[in-house]
Amino acid sequence: MVGLSLGEQNFIKGGIAQDLRTDGRKRLTYRPISVETGVIPQASGSARVKLGATDVIASVKAELGKPNPSHPDKGKVYIYVDCSPTAEPTFEGRGGEELSLELSSALQRCLLGGKSGEGAGIDLSSLSIVKGKVCWDLYIDGLVVSSDGNLLDALGAAIKAALSNTAIPKVQVAANASSDEQPEVDVSDEEFLQFDTTGVPVGRHYIVDATTEEESQMSSAISVSINRQGRICGLTKRGGAGLDPSVILDMISVAKHVSEQLINKLDSEIAAAEARDEEDEMDS
Amino acid sequence: MKLRFVGVDRSGAVWASEPVFIKMSKREIVKLTLLSAQSNSATTPTKTTTTIRGGARRLLTLCVWTDMEYVNPEGLRLDGRRPMEMRQLRGEIGVVSRADGSAVFEMGNTKVIAAVYGPREVQNRSQQLNDQALVRCEYSMANFSTGDRMRRPKGDRRSTEISLVIRQTMEACILTHLMPRSQIDIFVQVLQADGGTRSACINAATLALADAGIPMRDLVTSCGAGYLNGTPLLDLNYVEDSAGGPDVTVGILPKLDKVTLLQMDAKLQMDTFENVMQLAIEGCKAVASYIREILLENTKQLESRRGV
Repeated sequence: MVGLSLGEQNFIKGGIAQDLRTDGRKRLTYRPISVETGVIPQASGSARVKLGATDVIASVKAELGKPNPSHPDKGKVYIYVDCSPTAEPTFEGRGGEELSLELSSALQRCLLGGKSGEGAGIDLSSLSIVKGKVCWDLYIDGLVVSSDGNLLDALGAAIKAALSNTAIPKVQVAANASSDEQPEVDVSDEEFLQFDTTGVPVGRHYIVDATTEEESQMSSAISVSINRQGRICGLTKRGGAGLDPSVILDMISVAKHVSEQLINKLDSEIAAAEARDEEDEMDS
Repeated sequence: MKLRFVGVDRSGAVWASEPVFIKMSKREIVKLTLLSAQSNSATTPTKTTTTIRGGARRLLTLCVWTDMEYVNPEGLRLDGRRPMEMRQLRGEIGVVSRADGSAVFEMGNTKVIAAVYGPREVQNRSQQLNDQALVRCEYSMANFSTGDRMRRPKGDRRSTEISLVIRQTMEACILTHLMPRSQIDIFVQVLQADGGTRSACINAATLALADAGIPMRDLVTSCGAGYLNGTPLLDLNYVEDSAGGPDVTVGILPKLDKVTLLQMDAKLQMDTFENVMQLAIEGCKAVASYIREILLENTKQLESRRGV
Protein backbone atom coordinates (compact mmCIF):
# COMPACT_ATOMS: atom_id res chain seq x y z
CA MET A 1 0.00 0.00 0.00
CA VAL A 2 1.25 3.42 -0.83
CA GLY A 3 2.14 5.43 2.23
CA LEU A 4 0.12 8.44 3.26
CA SER A 5 1.57 11.90 3.00
CA LEU A 6 1.72 14.19 5.98
CA GLY A 7 -1.09 16.26 4.59
CA GLU A 8 -3.33 13.21 4.23
CA GLN A 9 -2.53 12.07 7.74
CA ASN A 10 -3.46 15.43 9.19
CA PHE A 11 -6.61 15.46 7.15
CA ILE A 12 -7.69 12.11 8.55
CA LYS A 13 -6.87 13.01 12.14
CA GLY A 14 -8.42 16.44 11.92
CA GLY A 15 -11.55 15.03 10.37
CA ILE A 16 -11.93 12.45 13.10
CA ALA A 17 -11.53 15.13 15.74
CA GLN A 18 -14.48 16.87 14.14
CA ASP A 19 -16.57 13.73 13.82
CA LEU A 20 -16.27 13.62 10.06
CA ARG A 21 -14.32 10.88 8.35
CA THR A 22 -12.95 10.90 4.84
CA ASP A 23 -15.91 9.01 3.44
CA GLY A 24 -18.42 11.20 5.25
CA ARG A 25 -19.22 8.83 8.08
CA LYS A 26 -19.46 9.77 11.71
CA ARG A 27 -17.02 8.23 14.14
CA LEU A 28 -19.31 5.47 15.26
CA THR A 29 -21.01 4.63 11.99
CA TYR A 30 -20.48 1.38 10.18
CA ARG A 31 -20.10 1.12 6.46
CA PRO A 32 -23.06 -0.42 4.64
CA ILE A 33 -23.03 -4.20 5.10
CA SER A 34 -24.32 -6.57 2.48
CA VAL A 35 -24.76 -10.26 3.18
CA GLU A 36 -25.24 -13.07 0.73
CA THR A 37 -25.84 -16.60 1.96
CA GLY A 38 -25.42 -19.93 0.27
CA VAL A 39 -22.59 -18.83 -2.00
CA ILE A 40 -20.74 -22.15 -1.77
CA PRO A 41 -23.25 -24.89 -2.57
CA GLN A 42 -20.84 -27.70 -1.67
CA ALA A 43 -20.50 -26.53 1.91
CA SER A 44 -22.97 -27.13 4.70
CA GLY A 45 -23.38 -23.40 5.05
CA SER A 46 -21.71 -20.35 3.63
CA ALA A 47 -21.95 -16.60 3.47
CA ARG A 48 -20.28 -13.66 1.79
CA VAL A 49 -20.14 -10.33 3.58
CA LYS A 50 -19.18 -7.03 2.03
CA LEU A 51 -18.35 -4.23 4.43
CA GLY A 52 -17.64 -1.33 2.11
CA ALA A 53 -14.75 -2.60 -0.01
CA THR A 54 -13.86 -5.41 2.38
CA ASP A 55 -15.12 -8.71 1.00
CA VAL A 56 -14.91 -11.98 2.89
CA ILE A 57 -16.37 -15.43 2.37
CA ALA A 58 -16.98 -17.91 5.18
CA SER A 59 -17.92 -21.54 4.74
CA VAL A 60 -18.89 -24.19 7.24
CA LYS A 61 -18.39 -27.89 6.56
CA ALA A 62 -19.68 -30.47 8.95
CA GLU A 63 -18.04 -33.87 9.10
CA LEU A 64 -18.38 -36.78 11.43
CA GLY A 65 -15.57 -37.31 13.85
CA LYS A 66 -14.57 -38.59 17.22
CA PRO A 67 -14.89 -36.26 20.19
CA ASN A 68 -11.95 -35.26 22.32
CA PRO A 69 -11.49 -37.81 25.12
CA SER A 70 -11.41 -35.04 27.70
CA HIS A 71 -14.75 -33.67 26.47
CA PRO A 72 -16.75 -36.66 25.32
CA ASP A 73 -20.04 -34.83 25.08
CA LYS A 74 -18.88 -31.92 23.01
CA GLY A 75 -18.33 -31.56 19.30
CA LYS A 76 -15.28 -29.89 17.81
CA VAL A 77 -15.01 -26.65 15.90
CA TYR A 78 -12.00 -25.57 13.91
CA ILE A 79 -11.61 -22.07 12.53
CA TYR A 80 -9.14 -21.25 9.79
CA VAL A 81 -8.76 -17.97 8.02
CA ASP A 82 -6.95 -17.62 4.74
CA CYS A 83 -5.88 -14.29 3.30
CA SER A 84 -6.00 -14.56 -0.45
CA PRO A 85 -3.36 -12.70 -2.45
CA THR A 86 -6.18 -11.12 -4.44
CA ALA A 87 -6.76 -8.88 -1.43
CA GLU A 88 -3.21 -7.58 -1.15
CA PRO A 89 -0.20 -8.42 -3.27
CA THR A 90 1.81 -8.77 -0.07
CA PHE A 91 -0.24 -11.84 0.81
CA GLU A 92 1.42 -13.79 -1.94
CA GLY A 93 3.03 -17.08 -1.01
CA ARG A 94 3.46 -17.18 2.72
CA GLY A 95 3.12 -13.44 3.16
CA GLY A 96 -0.41 -13.55 4.43
CA GLU A 97 0.25 -16.27 6.96
CA GLU A 98 0.91 -13.99 9.90
CA LEU A 99 -2.29 -12.08 9.44
CA SER A 100 -4.24 -15.29 8.86
CA LEU A 101 -2.96 -16.75 12.11
CA GLU A 102 -3.77 -13.58 13.99
CA LEU A 103 -7.31 -13.50 12.65
CA SER A 104 -7.85 -17.23 13.22
CA SER A 105 -6.74 -17.09 16.81
CA ALA A 106 -8.76 -13.96 17.57
CA LEU A 107 -11.87 -15.62 16.15
CA GLN A 108 -11.18 -18.85 17.98
CA ARG A 109 -10.80 -17.00 21.22
CA CYS A 110 -14.14 -15.36 20.85
CA LEU A 111 -16.15 -18.22 19.47
CA LEU A 112 -14.73 -21.15 21.28
CA GLY A 113 -14.21 -19.92 24.80
CA GLY A 114 -11.57 -21.25 27.12
CA LYS A 115 -9.65 -24.48 27.10
CA SER A 116 -12.36 -26.46 28.77
CA GLY A 117 -14.86 -25.38 26.16
CA GLU A 118 -16.72 -23.33 28.70
CA GLY A 119 -18.22 -20.07 27.69
CA ALA A 120 -18.12 -20.78 24.03
CA GLY A 121 -20.28 -18.80 21.69
CA ILE A 122 -21.19 -21.99 19.95
CA ASP A 123 -22.94 -24.58 22.02
CA LEU A 124 -20.59 -27.49 21.53
CA SER A 125 -22.77 -30.07 23.22
CA SER A 126 -25.36 -29.64 20.50
CA LEU A 127 -22.80 -31.08 18.11
CA SER A 128 -22.45 -34.33 19.96
CA ILE A 129 -24.16 -37.38 18.52
CA VAL A 130 -23.08 -40.35 20.57
CA LYS A 131 -21.29 -39.40 23.74
CA GLY A 132 -17.68 -40.39 23.56
CA LYS A 133 -17.93 -41.95 20.14
CA VAL A 134 -19.30 -39.75 17.40
CA CYS A 135 -19.67 -36.05 17.11
CA TRP A 136 -19.85 -33.39 14.47
CA ASP A 137 -16.66 -31.62 13.53
CA LEU A 138 -17.33 -28.17 12.18
CA TYR A 139 -14.67 -26.75 9.95
CA ILE A 140 -15.17 -23.03 9.53
CA ASP A 141 -13.07 -21.53 6.76
CA GLY A 142 -12.78 -17.84 6.16
CA LEU A 143 -11.32 -16.36 3.00
CA VAL A 144 -10.43 -12.72 2.66
CA VAL A 145 -11.04 -11.77 -0.95
CA SER A 146 -10.65 -8.03 -0.72
CA SER A 147 -9.35 -6.07 2.21
CA ASP A 148 -10.15 -2.49 3.10
CA GLY A 149 -9.80 -2.52 6.84
CA ASN A 150 -11.81 -4.08 9.64
CA LEU A 151 -11.28 -7.69 8.64
CA LEU A 152 -12.22 -9.05 12.03
CA ASP A 153 -15.69 -7.59 11.98
CA ALA A 154 -16.34 -8.74 8.47
CA LEU A 155 -15.12 -12.25 9.26
CA GLY A 156 -17.15 -12.39 12.43
CA ALA A 157 -20.25 -11.33 10.57
CA ALA A 158 -19.57 -13.81 7.78
CA ILE A 159 -19.09 -16.67 10.22
CA LYS A 160 -22.30 -15.77 11.99
CA ALA A 161 -24.20 -15.65 8.73
CA ALA A 162 -22.63 -18.89 7.53
CA LEU A 163 -23.56 -20.66 10.75
CA SER A 164 -27.12 -19.49 10.55
CA ASN A 165 -27.19 -20.77 6.98
CA THR A 166 -25.73 -24.13 8.00
CA ALA A 167 -27.88 -27.18 7.73
CA ILE A 168 -26.57 -30.32 9.33
CA PRO A 169 -28.34 -33.59 8.68
CA LYS A 170 -30.08 -35.18 11.59
CA VAL A 171 -28.38 -38.32 12.65
CA GLN A 172 -30.20 -41.30 14.00
CA VAL A 173 -28.17 -43.84 15.78
CA ALA A 174 -29.22 -47.41 15.15
CA ALA A 175 -28.58 -50.13 17.65
CA ASN A 176 -25.06 -51.28 16.89
CA ALA A 177 -23.82 -49.25 14.05
CA SER A 178 -24.54 -45.63 13.54
CA SER A 179 -26.10 -44.72 10.29
CA ASP A 180 -26.88 -41.30 8.98
CA GLU A 181 -30.18 -40.25 7.66
CA GLN A 182 -29.97 -37.40 5.29
CA PRO A 183 -33.54 -36.23 4.72
CA GLU A 184 -34.01 -34.15 7.82
CA VAL A 185 -32.15 -30.99 8.00
CA ASP A 186 -31.48 -29.06 11.09
CA VAL A 187 -30.25 -25.55 11.23
CA SER A 188 -27.34 -25.30 13.57
CA ASP A 189 -27.82 -22.25 15.63
CA GLU A 190 -25.87 -20.78 18.41
CA GLU A 191 -26.21 -18.16 20.95
CA PHE A 192 -24.56 -15.52 19.01
CA LEU A 193 -21.93 -13.19 19.02
CA GLN A 194 -20.95 -9.98 17.59
CA PHE A 195 -17.66 -8.47 16.82
CA ASP A 196 -16.81 -4.93 17.18
CA THR A 197 -13.70 -2.97 16.65
CA THR A 198 -12.85 0.32 18.14
CA GLY A 199 -9.81 2.13 17.00
CA VAL A 200 -7.99 4.84 18.78
CA PRO A 201 -6.17 7.36 16.70
CA VAL A 202 -4.44 10.30 18.25
CA GLY A 203 -6.55 12.21 20.68
CA ARG A 204 -9.40 10.90 22.71
CA HIS A 205 -11.58 9.86 19.85
CA TYR A 206 -12.57 6.39 18.96
CA ILE A 207 -13.68 5.25 15.58
CA VAL A 208 -15.45 2.14 14.59
CA ASP A 209 -14.97 0.20 11.37
CA ALA A 210 -11.74 1.72 10.12
CA THR A 211 -10.69 1.66 6.49
CA THR A 212 -7.15 0.71 5.59
CA GLU A 213 -5.92 4.30 5.60
CA GLU A 214 -7.41 4.94 8.99
CA GLU A 215 -5.98 1.69 10.28
CA SER A 216 -2.53 2.72 9.19
CA GLN A 217 -2.88 5.83 11.32
CA MET A 218 -4.18 4.28 14.45
CA SER A 219 -1.86 3.47 17.28
CA SER A 220 -3.90 0.74 18.88
CA ALA A 221 -7.22 -0.98 18.57
CA ILE A 222 -9.47 -3.11 20.66
CA SER A 223 -11.72 -5.79 19.27
CA VAL A 224 -14.57 -6.74 21.51
CA SER A 225 -16.86 -9.61 20.90
CA ILE A 226 -20.28 -9.17 22.45
CA ASN A 227 -23.22 -11.49 22.41
CA ARG A 228 -26.87 -10.73 22.21
CA GLN A 229 -27.28 -10.42 25.96
CA GLY A 230 -24.67 -7.70 26.03
CA ARG A 231 -21.97 -9.78 27.63
CA ILE A 232 -18.40 -9.74 26.53
CA CYS A 233 -17.25 -12.99 24.97
CA GLY A 234 -13.76 -12.05 23.92
CA LEU A 235 -11.37 -9.17 23.89
CA THR A 236 -8.28 -8.52 21.83
CA LYS A 237 -6.01 -5.54 22.00
CA ARG A 238 -4.04 -4.95 18.85
CA GLY A 239 -1.35 -2.46 18.15
CA GLY A 240 1.66 -1.42 20.12
CA ALA A 241 0.80 1.80 21.91
CA GLY A 242 -0.09 1.67 25.56
CA LEU A 243 -3.59 2.59 26.64
CA ASP A 244 -4.83 3.93 29.89
CA PRO A 245 -7.14 1.39 31.58
CA SER A 246 -9.91 3.96 31.84
CA VAL A 247 -9.67 4.47 28.11
CA ILE A 248 -10.09 0.78 27.59
CA LEU A 249 -13.20 0.64 29.76
CA ASP A 250 -14.56 3.59 27.87
CA MET A 251 -13.95 1.89 24.56
CA ILE A 252 -15.65 -1.27 25.76
CA SER A 253 -18.78 0.62 26.67
CA VAL A 254 -18.74 2.33 23.28
CA ALA A 255 -18.35 -1.07 21.69
CA LYS A 256 -21.33 -2.45 23.58
CA HIS A 257 -23.47 0.41 22.46
CA VAL A 258 -22.47 0.15 18.82
CA SER A 259 -22.69 -3.59 18.70
CA GLU A 260 -26.37 -3.63 19.61
CA GLN A 261 -27.11 -1.73 16.45
CA LEU A 262 -24.75 -3.95 14.53
CA ILE A 263 -26.41 -7.13 15.75
CA ASN A 264 -29.81 -5.89 14.74
CA LYS A 265 -28.56 -4.75 11.38
CA LEU A 266 -26.83 -8.05 10.75
CA ASP A 267 -29.81 -10.09 11.77
CA SER A 268 -32.04 -8.24 9.38
CA GLU A 269 -29.47 -8.55 6.59
CA ILE A 270 -29.10 -12.28 7.18
CA ALA A 271 -32.85 -12.77 7.24
CA ALA A 272 -33.17 -10.82 4.00
CA ALA A 273 -30.40 -12.86 2.40
CA GLU A 274 -32.02 -16.14 3.39
CA ALA A 275 -35.38 -14.94 2.13
CA ARG A 276 -33.76 -14.11 -1.19
CA ASP A 277 -32.15 -17.51 -1.21
CA GLU A 278 -35.44 -19.28 -0.70
CA GLU A 279 -37.08 -17.23 -3.39
CA ASP A 280 -34.34 -18.17 -5.79
CA GLU A 281 -34.75 -21.81 -4.89
CA MET A 282 -38.47 -21.65 -5.44
CA ASP A 283 -38.10 -19.89 -8.75
CA SER A 284 -35.52 -22.24 -10.18
CA MET B 1 -10.55 -56.13 -15.53
CA LYS B 2 -13.84 -54.34 -15.67
CA LEU B 3 -15.98 -54.05 -12.62
CA ARG B 4 -19.39 -52.63 -12.16
CA PHE B 5 -19.56 -51.63 -8.58
CA VAL B 6 -23.12 -51.59 -7.43
CA GLY B 7 -23.27 -51.27 -3.72
CA VAL B 8 -22.47 -52.47 -0.29
CA ASP B 9 -25.17 -54.23 1.65
CA ARG B 10 -25.65 -54.30 5.36
CA SER B 11 -23.42 -57.22 6.03
CA GLY B 12 -20.67 -55.52 4.14
CA ALA B 13 -20.66 -57.65 1.06
CA VAL B 14 -19.75 -55.82 -2.08
CA TRP B 15 -21.88 -56.73 -5.05
CA ALA B 16 -20.62 -56.39 -8.56
CA SER B 17 -21.34 -57.71 -11.96
CA GLU B 18 -18.55 -60.16 -12.46
CA PRO B 19 -16.84 -62.57 -10.15
CA VAL B 20 -13.41 -61.33 -9.35
CA PHE B 21 -10.88 -61.76 -6.70
CA ILE B 22 -9.51 -58.60 -5.31
CA LYS B 23 -6.69 -58.35 -2.89
CA MET B 24 -7.82 -56.07 -0.13
CA SER B 25 -4.77 -56.25 2.00
CA LYS B 26 -1.69 -58.38 2.00
CA ARG B 27 -3.47 -61.25 3.61
CA GLU B 28 -7.14 -60.91 2.95
CA ILE B 29 -8.91 -61.75 -0.21
CA VAL B 30 -12.44 -60.86 -0.89
CA LYS B 31 -14.58 -62.58 -3.38
CA LEU B 32 -17.09 -60.37 -5.05
CA THR B 33 -20.38 -61.86 -6.02
CA LEU B 34 -21.98 -61.93 -9.38
CA LEU B 35 -24.97 -59.78 -10.03
CA SER B 36 -26.92 -59.28 -13.17
CA ALA B 37 -25.62 -56.44 -15.22
CA GLN B 38 -28.88 -54.58 -15.57
CA SER B 39 -27.98 -51.80 -13.27
CA ASN B 40 -25.66 -49.34 -14.83
CA SER B 41 -25.74 -47.17 -11.82
CA ALA B 42 -22.07 -47.34 -11.01
CA THR B 43 -21.01 -44.33 -9.12
CA THR B 44 -17.98 -42.28 -8.39
CA PRO B 45 -15.43 -43.70 -6.00
CA THR B 46 -16.78 -43.93 -2.52
CA LYS B 47 -15.18 -44.46 0.78
CA THR B 48 -17.21 -47.02 2.56
CA THR B 49 -16.73 -49.16 5.58
CA THR B 50 -17.32 -52.77 4.91
CA THR B 51 -16.96 -55.98 6.75
CA ILE B 52 -14.59 -58.22 5.00
CA ARG B 53 -15.52 -61.82 5.49
CA GLY B 54 -13.49 -62.70 8.48
CA GLY B 55 -14.97 -59.89 10.48
CA ALA B 56 -12.40 -57.17 10.26
CA ARG B 57 -13.82 -53.72 9.73
CA ARG B 58 -11.80 -51.86 7.27
CA LEU B 59 -12.07 -48.64 5.43
CA LEU B 60 -12.45 -49.65 1.87
CA THR B 61 -11.83 -47.21 -0.90
CA LEU B 62 -13.26 -48.47 -4.09
CA CYS B 63 -11.95 -46.77 -7.15
CA VAL B 64 -13.50 -48.98 -9.71
CA TRP B 65 -15.58 -47.91 -12.52
CA THR B 66 -15.12 -48.26 -16.14
CA ASP B 67 -17.90 -48.66 -18.55
CA MET B 68 -19.87 -46.16 -16.65
CA GLU B 69 -22.12 -44.31 -18.95
CA TYR B 70 -21.00 -40.77 -19.36
CA VAL B 71 -23.14 -40.35 -22.43
CA ASN B 72 -26.43 -42.18 -22.24
CA PRO B 73 -28.08 -43.70 -25.32
CA GLU B 74 -30.08 -40.52 -25.96
CA GLY B 75 -26.85 -38.58 -26.18
CA LEU B 76 -27.13 -36.72 -22.89
CA ARG B 77 -24.32 -36.43 -20.40
CA LEU B 78 -24.53 -36.83 -16.65
CA ASP B 79 -25.61 -33.25 -16.09
CA GLY B 80 -28.01 -33.20 -19.03
CA ARG B 81 -25.76 -31.47 -21.54
CA ARG B 82 -25.17 -32.53 -25.11
CA PRO B 83 -21.63 -33.68 -25.93
CA MET B 84 -20.75 -30.44 -27.67
CA GLU B 85 -22.43 -28.17 -25.19
CA MET B 86 -20.47 -25.99 -22.80
CA ARG B 87 -21.48 -25.28 -19.25
CA GLN B 88 -23.09 -22.00 -18.43
CA LEU B 89 -20.64 -19.11 -18.43
CA ARG B 90 -20.87 -16.10 -16.19
CA GLY B 91 -18.33 -13.33 -15.84
CA GLU B 92 -18.14 -10.07 -13.97
CA ILE B 93 -15.53 -7.32 -13.87
CA GLY B 94 -14.37 -5.15 -11.02
CA VAL B 95 -15.12 -7.29 -8.00
CA VAL B 96 -12.02 -6.48 -5.95
CA SER B 97 -11.99 -2.71 -5.70
CA ARG B 98 -8.46 -2.41 -4.39
CA ALA B 99 -6.94 -4.26 -7.32
CA ASP B 100 -6.05 -2.54 -10.56
CA GLY B 101 -8.19 -5.06 -12.37
CA SER B 102 -10.27 -7.97 -11.22
CA ALA B 103 -12.86 -10.38 -12.45
CA VAL B 104 -14.95 -13.36 -11.46
CA PHE B 105 -15.46 -16.12 -13.98
CA GLU B 106 -17.79 -19.10 -13.63
CA MET B 107 -17.97 -22.13 -15.87
CA GLY B 108 -20.85 -24.17 -14.53
CA ASN B 109 -20.01 -24.81 -10.88
CA THR B 110 -16.36 -23.82 -11.20
CA LYS B 111 -15.93 -20.32 -9.82
CA VAL B 112 -12.70 -18.37 -9.90
CA ILE B 113 -11.64 -14.85 -8.88
CA ALA B 114 -8.69 -13.16 -10.55
CA ALA B 115 -7.02 -9.94 -9.42
CA VAL B 116 -4.32 -8.02 -11.27
CA TYR B 117 -1.95 -5.59 -9.58
CA GLY B 118 0.22 -3.62 -11.92
CA PRO B 119 2.08 -2.40 -13.74
CA ARG B 120 3.91 -1.30 -10.63
CA GLU B 121 7.40 -1.03 -9.31
CA VAL B 122 9.33 -4.25 -9.08
CA GLN B 123 9.47 -5.46 -5.48
CA ASN B 124 12.56 -7.56 -5.87
CA ARG B 125 15.26 -5.56 -7.63
CA SER B 126 17.20 -8.64 -8.58
CA GLN B 127 14.31 -9.86 -10.73
CA GLN B 128 13.88 -6.60 -12.59
CA LEU B 129 14.00 -6.84 -16.37
CA ASN B 130 15.31 -3.81 -18.15
CA ASP B 131 13.51 -4.23 -21.43
CA GLN B 132 10.16 -5.73 -20.44
CA ALA B 133 7.67 -6.13 -17.65
CA LEU B 134 7.96 -8.97 -15.16
CA VAL B 135 4.79 -11.07 -15.05
CA ARG B 136 4.12 -13.09 -11.91
CA CYS B 137 1.21 -15.34 -11.19
CA GLU B 138 -0.08 -17.23 -8.21
CA TYR B 139 -2.83 -19.82 -8.22
CA SER B 140 -4.46 -20.86 -4.97
CA MET B 141 -7.47 -22.93 -4.06
CA ALA B 142 -9.71 -22.12 -1.13
CA ASN B 143 -10.08 -24.75 1.55
CA PHE B 144 -13.76 -25.13 0.78
CA SER B 145 -13.38 -25.27 -2.97
CA THR B 146 -13.60 -29.01 -3.43
CA GLY B 147 -16.16 -31.49 -2.20
CA ASP B 148 -14.06 -32.85 0.63
CA ARG B 149 -12.43 -30.09 2.55
CA MET B 150 -8.69 -30.25 2.46
CA ARG B 151 -6.13 -27.91 3.87
CA ARG B 152 -4.12 -26.84 0.93
CA PRO B 153 -0.52 -26.01 1.67
CA LYS B 154 0.53 -22.97 -0.26
CA GLY B 155 3.11 -23.85 -2.85
CA ASP B 156 2.21 -27.46 -3.37
CA ARG B 157 3.20 -28.96 -6.69
CA ARG B 158 -0.09 -28.71 -8.50
CA SER B 159 -0.55 -25.05 -7.57
CA THR B 160 2.98 -24.24 -8.65
CA GLU B 161 2.49 -26.00 -11.95
CA ILE B 162 -0.76 -24.26 -12.71
CA SER B 163 0.70 -20.90 -11.68
CA LEU B 164 3.52 -21.48 -14.12
CA VAL B 165 1.12 -22.46 -16.90
CA ILE B 166 -1.03 -19.39 -16.41
CA ARG B 167 1.98 -17.13 -16.23
CA GLN B 168 3.43 -18.43 -19.46
CA THR B 169 0.11 -18.19 -21.24
CA MET B 170 -0.57 -14.62 -20.18
CA GLU B 171 3.01 -13.49 -20.67
CA ALA B 172 2.79 -14.50 -24.30
CA CYS B 173 -0.07 -12.13 -24.95
CA ILE B 174 0.77 -9.12 -22.78
CA LEU B 175 2.81 -6.47 -24.58
CA THR B 176 5.51 -6.55 -21.97
CA HIS B 177 7.98 -4.47 -23.95
CA LEU B 178 5.77 -1.43 -23.39
CA MET B 179 6.33 -1.51 -19.63
CA PRO B 180 10.00 -2.16 -18.91
CA ARG B 181 11.27 -2.40 -15.34
CA SER B 182 7.81 -2.93 -13.98
CA GLN B 183 5.90 -5.84 -12.52
CA ILE B 184 2.47 -7.23 -13.22
CA ASP B 185 0.98 -9.59 -10.62
CA ILE B 186 -1.86 -11.90 -11.48
CA PHE B 187 -3.50 -13.66 -8.53
CA VAL B 188 -6.08 -16.33 -9.13
CA GLN B 189 -8.19 -17.80 -6.35
CA VAL B 190 -10.45 -20.78 -6.90
CA LEU B 191 -13.64 -20.53 -4.88
CA GLN B 192 -15.34 -23.61 -6.24
CA ALA B 193 -13.71 -26.38 -8.23
CA ASP B 194 -15.78 -28.59 -10.49
CA GLY B 195 -13.44 -29.46 -13.33
CA GLY B 196 -11.83 -27.09 -15.80
CA THR B 197 -10.24 -24.86 -13.18
CA ARG B 198 -7.24 -24.20 -15.37
CA SER B 199 -9.45 -22.85 -18.15
CA ALA B 200 -11.62 -20.80 -15.83
CA CYS B 201 -8.47 -19.26 -14.32
CA ILE B 202 -7.10 -18.22 -17.69
CA ASN B 203 -10.43 -16.72 -18.74
CA ALA B 204 -10.73 -14.84 -15.45
CA ALA B 205 -7.15 -13.60 -15.78
CA THR B 206 -7.89 -12.28 -19.27
CA LEU B 207 -10.90 -10.37 -18.00
CA ALA B 208 -8.93 -8.99 -15.07
CA LEU B 209 -6.06 -7.86 -17.31
CA ALA B 210 -8.53 -6.16 -19.62
CA ASP B 211 -10.13 -4.46 -16.60
CA ALA B 212 -6.70 -3.25 -15.49
CA GLY B 213 -6.13 -1.74 -18.92
CA ILE B 214 -2.93 -3.67 -19.55
CA PRO B 215 -2.09 -3.73 -23.27
CA MET B 216 -2.46 -7.18 -24.78
CA ARG B 217 -2.09 -8.66 -28.24
CA ASP B 218 -5.43 -10.40 -28.01
CA LEU B 219 -7.71 -12.00 -25.44
CA VAL B 220 -6.61 -15.41 -24.25
CA THR B 221 -9.40 -17.88 -23.79
CA SER B 222 -9.24 -21.47 -22.73
CA CYS B 223 -11.47 -24.48 -22.70
CA GLY B 224 -11.08 -28.19 -22.12
CA ALA B 225 -12.43 -31.20 -23.91
CA GLY B 226 -12.29 -34.95 -23.40
CA TYR B 227 -13.17 -38.24 -24.96
CA LEU B 228 -15.42 -40.73 -23.17
CA ASN B 229 -17.64 -43.57 -24.35
CA GLY B 230 -16.43 -42.98 -27.90
CA THR B 231 -17.63 -39.36 -28.00
CA PRO B 232 -15.66 -36.16 -27.82
CA LEU B 233 -17.09 -34.11 -24.94
CA LEU B 234 -16.68 -30.39 -24.47
CA ASP B 235 -15.93 -28.79 -21.10
CA LEU B 236 -15.60 -31.69 -18.69
CA ASN B 237 -16.81 -31.34 -15.16
CA TYR B 238 -15.17 -33.01 -12.16
CA VAL B 239 -16.94 -36.35 -12.46
CA GLU B 240 -16.16 -36.69 -16.15
CA ASP B 241 -12.60 -35.56 -15.55
CA SER B 242 -12.09 -38.22 -12.89
CA ALA B 243 -13.29 -40.90 -15.25
CA GLY B 244 -9.75 -41.50 -16.38
CA GLY B 245 -10.33 -40.53 -19.97
CA PRO B 246 -8.14 -38.04 -21.79
CA ASP B 247 -8.51 -34.37 -20.92
CA VAL B 248 -7.25 -31.82 -23.42
CA THR B 249 -6.93 -28.20 -22.28
CA VAL B 250 -6.43 -25.64 -25.01
CA GLY B 251 -5.77 -21.92 -24.76
CA ILE B 252 -5.94 -19.73 -27.85
CA LEU B 253 -5.67 -16.17 -29.06
CA PRO B 254 -9.00 -16.06 -30.87
CA LYS B 255 -8.50 -13.20 -33.34
CA LEU B 256 -4.98 -14.21 -34.22
CA ASP B 257 -6.07 -17.84 -34.34
CA LYS B 258 -3.02 -19.11 -32.51
CA VAL B 259 -2.76 -21.79 -29.84
CA THR B 260 -0.85 -20.69 -26.74
CA LEU B 261 -1.63 -23.51 -24.34
CA LEU B 262 -2.02 -27.20 -25.06
CA GLN B 263 -2.03 -29.87 -22.38
CA MET B 264 -3.31 -33.38 -22.35
CA ASP B 265 -3.22 -36.33 -20.02
CA ALA B 266 -4.00 -40.01 -20.70
CA LYS B 267 -3.72 -41.42 -24.18
CA LEU B 268 -5.60 -40.77 -27.35
CA GLN B 269 -5.30 -41.80 -30.97
CA MET B 270 -3.99 -39.20 -33.39
CA ASP B 271 -7.14 -38.61 -35.43
CA THR B 272 -9.35 -38.63 -32.35
CA PHE B 273 -6.97 -36.15 -30.78
CA GLU B 274 -7.40 -33.81 -33.71
CA ASN B 275 -11.17 -33.94 -33.32
CA VAL B 276 -11.00 -33.32 -29.62
CA MET B 277 -8.59 -30.44 -30.02
CA GLN B 278 -10.76 -28.89 -32.71
CA LEU B 279 -13.74 -29.17 -30.37
CA ALA B 280 -11.82 -27.48 -27.59
CA ILE B 281 -10.81 -24.67 -29.96
CA GLU B 282 -14.46 -24.15 -30.87
CA GLY B 283 -15.22 -23.94 -27.19
CA CYS B 284 -12.48 -21.35 -26.75
CA LYS B 285 -13.98 -19.24 -29.51
CA ALA B 286 -17.38 -19.38 -27.82
CA VAL B 287 -15.79 -18.22 -24.56
CA ALA B 288 -14.02 -15.43 -26.46
CA SER B 289 -17.27 -14.08 -27.88
CA TYR B 290 -18.82 -14.14 -24.40
CA ILE B 291 -15.84 -12.33 -22.91
CA ARG B 292 -16.00 -9.74 -25.66
CA GLU B 293 -19.65 -9.13 -24.83
CA ILE B 294 -18.84 -8.56 -21.19
CA LEU B 295 -16.09 -6.10 -22.02
CA LEU B 296 -18.30 -4.27 -24.48
CA GLU B 297 -21.08 -4.00 -21.92
CA ASN B 298 -18.60 -2.67 -19.39
CA THR B 299 -17.33 -0.04 -21.81
CA LYS B 300 -20.87 1.08 -22.60
CA GLN B 301 -21.54 1.53 -18.91
CA LEU B 302 -18.37 3.58 -18.51
CA GLU B 303 -19.42 5.68 -21.46
CA SER B 304 -22.86 6.36 -20.08
CA ARG B 305 -21.43 7.20 -16.68
CA ARG B 306 -19.15 9.75 -18.19
CA GLY B 307 -22.05 11.19 -20.08
CA VAL B 308 -20.64 10.47 -23.52
